[in-house]
Amino acid sequence: MSDRKSRLTITVDPDLSTYAERLVASGQAASVSAAFNEAMAEKAYRDRRRRGLWKARSDQADPARVARLMAHVDQQLTGG
Amino acid sequence: MGEVTAQPLVLDTSVVTAVARGDPDIIGLLQGYDARGRQLVIPALAIAGALLDAHSDEADDLLGGLELLDHVTIAPLRGTEQAARLADIIARTGLDPWDAHAAAIADVAIYPILTLDAAKWRQPSAALDEPLHIIEIADSDEHEPEE
Repeated sequence: MSDRKSRLTITVDPDLSTYAERLVASGQAASVSAAFNEAMAEKAYRDRRRRGLWKARSDQADPARVARLMAHVDQQLTGG
Repeated sequence: MGEVTAQPLVLDTSVVTAVARGDPDIIGLLQGYDARGRQLVIPALAIAGALLDAHSDEADDLLGGLELLDHVTIAPLRGTEQAARLADIIARTGLDPWDAHAAAIADVAIYPILTLDAAKWRQPSAALDEPLHIIEIADSDEHEPEE
């Protein structure tokens, strides 16, 4: 991944824009862009963790039982 | 791919709660339907009901993970009309708000409801103008009489 930043134009809620500007004014963020970049990085991290948790749980599933459950559901969906 | 045009399934609170509790087989089943392209609709109030039952950071993450599946849609409760429809369903069926939201979505869109407990839906379904299409998740092996 390149260190070079991409330029994009975004539209955000006024209260979030105000909050980002306050972070910059108080020195907690280098810029409004940095504040939104950090928020998106945090979301990416959280989503990765959640996908990982789902994978870990589904790896613990009993494939034969899952197949039986799905077959039973399918049978009802097709009216069989 | 095979189920792209198939009817979406509305998950009731029992199924969403099973996800919040980390039930591997239910998670595996939902992942299986998502992989087939079957649309899954999660009522926002069913998520609230599930989190009342199983509230933890892990439950939050598991329900957040459910939202990340490719074919999952979270159905919000939007506007006065939907709120009034929900109140009407609660009054007519006696369902709690969490499952009443599933019933409201299923009743309007004519989608089947996926549940772990079909019995709890019998009376509410009979109280509506059109009966709901209830699909129960059950293991046929666990219901076979012993020889």
